[in-house]
Parts: sequence; C-alpha cells; structure tokens
Amino acid sequence: MQYSNPQIPEGINTSTEHPLKEFVLLTGGVLAVVVVVVLLLGYFADTFSNRIPFKFEQSLANDRFNKETSAPQMEAYLNQLAGKLAAAQKLPGDMNITVHYVDEDRVNAFATLGGNVIMFRGLLEKLPNENALAMVLAHEIAHINHRDPIRSIGRGVVIGLALSMVSATLGNAVTDQVLSGGGMLTVLHYSRDQESAADEMALEALRAHYGHVNGATDLFEILEAAHAGLPQAEFFSSHPLTQKRIERIREVAATLRTAKAPELQPLPPDFAAWMKSEAK
Amino acid sequence: MLDLIVFLVLLTLGYGFGRRAESQHYKSIIAREKQLQSIPAVGMKVPPLARPYTVTLVCGNVVISVDYFKRFLAGLRSLLGGRITSYESLLDRARREAILRMKEQAAGMGAKLIFNVQLTTASLTRGKRGGIGSVEVLAYGTALIE
Amino acid sequence: MLLTNIEIIPGKRITKHLGLVQGSSVRSKHVGRDIMAGLKNIFGGELKGYTELLQESRDEATERMVAQAEAVGANAVLNIRFSTSSIAVGAAEIFAYGTAVVLE
Repeated sequence: MQYSNPQIPEGINTSTEHPLKEFVLLTGGVLAVVVVVVLLLGYFADTFSNRIPFKFEQSLANDRFNKETSAPQMEAYLNQLAGKLAAAQKLPGDMNITVHYVDEDRVNAFATLGGNVIMFRGLLEKLPNENALAMVLAHEIAHINHRDPIRSIGRGVVIGLALSMVSATLGNAVTDQVLSGGGMLTVLHYSRDQESAADEMALEALRAHYGHVNGATDLFEILEAAHAGLPQAEFFSSHPLTQKRIERIREVAATLRTAKAPELQPLPPDFAAWMKSEAK
Repeated sequence: MLDLIVFLVLLTLGYGFGRRAESQHYKSIIAREKQLQSIPAVGMKVPPLARPYTVTLVCGNVVISVDYFKRFLAGLRSLLGGRITSYESLLDRARREAILRMKEQAAGMGAKLIFNVQLTTASLTRGKRGGIGSVEVLAYGTALIE
Repeated sequence: MLLTNIEIIPGKRITKHLGLVQGSSVRSKHVGRDIMAGLKNIFGGELKGYTELLQESRDEATERMVAQAEAVGANAVLNIRFSTSSIAVGAAEIFAYGTAVVLE
C-alpha cells in the first residue's frame, strides 16, 4: 500500500479575481441599487404625502403650539406681513399661515406642519430692512405652499423604514453606514431641489408685493460674510450654496423691469424693542 | 465627512496590510508543504494492520483574524448574494496552516503517517452582532509511529 | 470519479493513497431572500431560498474537491466528510474533504 502526498495545485479553493476589482464592483453595485431604491421610494412617498389633507396637518401640529405669546406686537406684525405675502403667492384659501416668534439666539427660521412658521430672534436681529424679512417669510410660506413639511416627513418615514428593514438583516455595522450614507445623500438632493423651488416662489411673491426684488439678497450676503473662510460642500448639505442663491436672486432681479426706482422698505421703528419678550 | 475619511483610512490599512500578510503566509505555507511532503495525511480510519505502530493523537490549530477590508467586502456581498471570495482565501490559509502544524507535531514525534484526519472550523466573533472577529481551524488525526 | 463516504469498497482494491483533498465554498444570501425568510418566520414553512443556496454551495464544494483529486491523479475519493460552519451573519462555509485514492 503506497501512501503518497502529491502537491495540490493552487487556485482551486480560492479565486484569482483581484480584490480591488471586486471592491469597486460591489461598492458601485450597492450604491447604485441604494440610490435607485431611495429615489423610487421618495417619489412614491412624495406623491402620496401630497394627498394628505391640510386639515390633518393642522390637527397634528396645532396642539403643540403655545396659544399665548411672549411678544404679541412682534407676532402681530409678522403675521400681518405673512398674510400679505401669502396673498401675493396665491396661497390656497384653506391654508392659514401662523408665524411664531421665539426669543432665542439661533439664526434660523423654518416652516413646519399645519402652516406654522417659526422665526428666531437671532435671525431677525440680522435683518437690515423689511424686504430681507419678506424674503425669509415668503421662502417659508413657499415651503408650506408646496406642502414641503409633510412631504419631507413622509419621505423620511418611508425611506427610514426601508433602510432599517435591510439593515436589520445585516450583521455588519459598516455596511449599515454605507447604506444610510447613500440614502442620506439622495435625500439631501431632494431637499436642495425643494429649497431652490421655495426661493423661486418667494422671489415671485416679493415682486408681486413690492414691485421689485431688491433687498432679497441682503440676509444671504450677511450670512455669507459671517461664514467666510469655511468651505461649504454643497453635496453634503441640505441647502444649495449661499453664493448660488445670491446669484439666482440677482439673475431674477436683472430680468425684471421696474417702472419706478426700487426703494427698500424699512423695518417698523419698534422692531428691536418688540424682540425682547415681555416678562411673564 | 470625518467618518468617511476614517472609514477610507481603515479600509486602506486593512487592504494593504492584509494583502501583505496573506502573501507572506502563503509563501510560508507552500515552502513548509514541500518540506513536509514526506508525511502523508489521509482520512481513512483503518491503518495498515501489519506493522506494530504506536498510535497517538496529533493536532494543529490556528486562529486567523479578518481584516477590515475583507469584512467590508463580505458585508456588501451579503446584500447582493454570491460567493464571498475574500473569505475563501482566509479559510484556505487557515486550513492548510492547521494541517501543517499537525504534521509538524507528528514529525516531531518521528511519525511517518497520519490517519483519520478531521478538520473543524469555528468562527470566534467579537461579541458585536454579526461581526466576524476571527476564524479558528483545528486539524486532528492519529499519527502512526513505527 | 467515484465519491463515497465509506472506506472499503466492495470488489475494489486501493492501490495508491494520494492524500487529503478539500473543497470549500463560502456563500452568502442576498437581501431578497432574507426578507422572505423574515416573513416566513411569521408564517412558517420551508425556506426554499436558503435550501437552494446551501445546495448550490455544497455542489460547488464537492466540485472543487473533485478538481483537486483529479489534479493529483486520483480516480476515487473515499471517506468524504462535510462540515458546515457559520462564518458571518448570513454566510455559511460548506467544506468537503476526503481521501483521494487510485482504485482498481
């Protein structure tokens, strides 16, 4: 009985494909699938959320807001301006805009469900004139006009659900990150489109109300100066680059031919005083 | 953004060092297989009964860990399905190494044959869900010493 | 190529042992199968997707073992053993090994 031990050739139990090639193919494949699925889901979630009646939004949101306010004059002024801008945008009759003022340092303003717009003192402090304020307000009203809040939430829920269904089956935390990263970048793309559309509608409202769009860039220019030096990566952010927004506004301004010389509307004289909330 | 950079750095490290370790290991395996070619290992249970052999159990085991690059590829693969080629070479190395160590132990005892060789593979996870930490292969058999 | 998991073949004689041959295959399922399996967890029944997957995997492992046996010039593989181990979540390694021999 002969026992021998011949040498077995390499390559039968392993594959000769270069790992980097496989890496590129796999990553490309997975990202492509994620982007396609997120886009499809986003589209369906969007069209569905659009159908949700505004009354439902209002019922969801209105319970959460304080009926009393700490700065009644400011809110009265803001709501009055909002009403005029909403009319200029031809906001549907059943949608009411309610502006809430919050006495905090944050330089921000946002629109949420039920036609509620929140504005912070930090942002209002920086506004040089009423036109700039109108641009911000009209932008937020435009979001509500487009039903952006409920659409974003609908999209977020659907895509989040899908991604978590896939991630739950995976054991790998790293692949988890790849998936959610890919999904997030696609969602940010949607968000940038929404912001551009809101800018366009806001400019239209400004033109209808004031007759010109001067002053619309004022806030952006102030913010841009504050952020000077920090490079903004548009790909990773939810808004288009501030510089792009300023340029777009200037483009629109250039196409409008105004009958009289455009003059900027100043803010009401007690504006700064109104910002301080009344002590309770 | 920072996450992405950290991830890419880990991936490159895993790939670079992993490839190097693997090719060095393979060279060592092939060299030792040549050396130990004189000791056949078979899976048969019944040894030649003619000679009065002394029998003893010999075993060899090895634990090899998975690098970041391989783990990432396997994770992606588990989405799309198919052969996980990054683990194939890992397991091949581990098995051959385990058999070589078993043969080295047998050679140390002066044996010329190993019978009833069996192999078992286990994956030692780090405890986090699903993450494979390392692979252990144990090869054991009976060495026949004249 | 004769494949069997017994050692002594009736009516044949082993003339040469050619050592251990191994074949292994590591396969993973994809998300589609996984989601179906998740649903089956509620309804019960055979997970056909996984059964197919492991069957393919075992076939491939056996093929590779046979390829190794052919490369060393054997015409039979005796004492075949299979071993399955879970390598990562959703991936299993099927490993087949046996002794390559020349039978007469």
